[in-house]
Amino acid sequence: MINTTNHHPDENMLIEFSAGTLETAASICVSAHLHFCSRCRTKLLRLDQVGSQIMSQSEPMEVADNAFDQVMEKIDSADLVSSSKTSSATSASTSINTSDEGFPYSVKKLINTSLISKNWKRLSSSVDVARFKTGQEDFEVALHKICAGGKTPKHGHEGLEYTVVLKGSFSDENAVYREGDFLMRQPGDVHQPMGAQNGECICLSALSAPIVPTSPLGFLMKPWLRINPM
Amino acid sequence: MEDRVTTLNNSEKRSDQWSQLLISVGETRDRKAFAQLFEHFGPLLKGFAHASRNEGWFPGLGDDLVQEVMIKVWNKAAGYNAEKASATTWIYTVARNCRIDMLRRKSNTQHLPLENEDFWHEPDEETPISLLQQKRSEDRVQASLAQLPKEQDQILRKVYLEGKSHAEASAELGLPLGTVKSRVRLALQKMQVIVSKEAQE
Repeated sequence: MINTTNHHPDENMLIEFSAGTLETAASICVSAHLHFCSRCRTKLLRLDQVGSQIMSQSEPMEVADNAFDQVMEKIDSADLVSSSKTSSATSASTSINTSDEGFPYSVKKLINTSLISKNWKRLSSSVDVARFKTGQEDFEVALHKICAGGKTPKHGHEGLEYTVVLKGSFSDENAVYREGDFLMRQPGDVHQPMGAQNGECICLSALSAPIVPTSPLGFLMKPWLRINPM
Repeated sequence: MEDRVTTLNNSEKRSDQWSQLLISVGETRDRKAFAQLFEHFGPLLKGFAHASRNEGWFPGLGDDLVQEVMIKVWNKAAGYNAEKASATTWIYTVARNCRIDMLRRKSNTQHLPLENEDFWHEPDEETPISLLQQKRSEDRVQASLAQLPKEQDQILRKVYLEGKSHAEASAELGLPLGTVKSRVRLALQKMQVIVSKEAQE
């Protein structure tokens, strides 16, 4: 795959991703970006080497004598059950078609298992949305589709929002964003994206709520948790 | 990339013993090889679990992690590509993903169907860097880790071993978030894992 991505997650994000400490909303989008971006995959491999060396040089702890036998027992009994079974995350049918679009694995899995509705929902004359069930209050994940040449209203963002272009391209005041490009918007950023003239654009977005201290009034933060249209 | 190779000579094949053992497990379901891997990595995995200081930590995490990771190693060994990563790096990624998922299962009830390993589903492709380059960078990481100044070593351990986010590390160490971020980057620049901005230009 030729690498055409121009907008990448910053280094600290990749580091946290490699260490497994990046929050979920951001992780989902970094993972989708990696699908498209060999440059960041190479960086990640190096960072994983650091993690592996740190793990190797850490203090080993004694494992029970029978631990190996227990593992082999589980492996043997699982082998009997699973020898006939093959699993795949990409089978269910939905009107949001991904099968031929080279979407990242994690996105396909989300589409097949976690859409709130199987159909696009109109958000404005040029933007459709399909939200995922996350069961979480601190982030929201959705797909957005801008029709060819579609203009979106100028708007701001209240939480930290991550976006990855999955198909097509769109532009705003600053740049054109193509397949695989990763964007992070800070709370308060205002912009007006436009779909490209030559076809629809599909993006994955994940909104993470601003970090707030736990308080009995936590429910007041709810309005912040809505993903804004692109 | 002048030392990129299309076919690997035998001498360039990954030669460290753990990778050889892992290949045997993948190719022939070699139980002896698997036992040797278990003996080496089991205690490291348990130590890795116990080093975690995250929400959701519980006393049995170490033994559970050893079991879960080693079963995954057995099941996934056939897909292991020695040209891409050493066994140690490969097992680390399995362990990291398992640790996160186990802690997450304990600390909340998440409906999102994604497990952490879903985030690492890479497309099949040619290795982006050659085995030789990769081996070199791994040796360099190993050697340079030992030479880091104390505070850089400490921050990397917090991040990778204890599993602390930058924000958590900043709160614990009483340092501004920006300082944590730049210290982590500085450590990795020193190890030549990432390139400093100035050097890129």
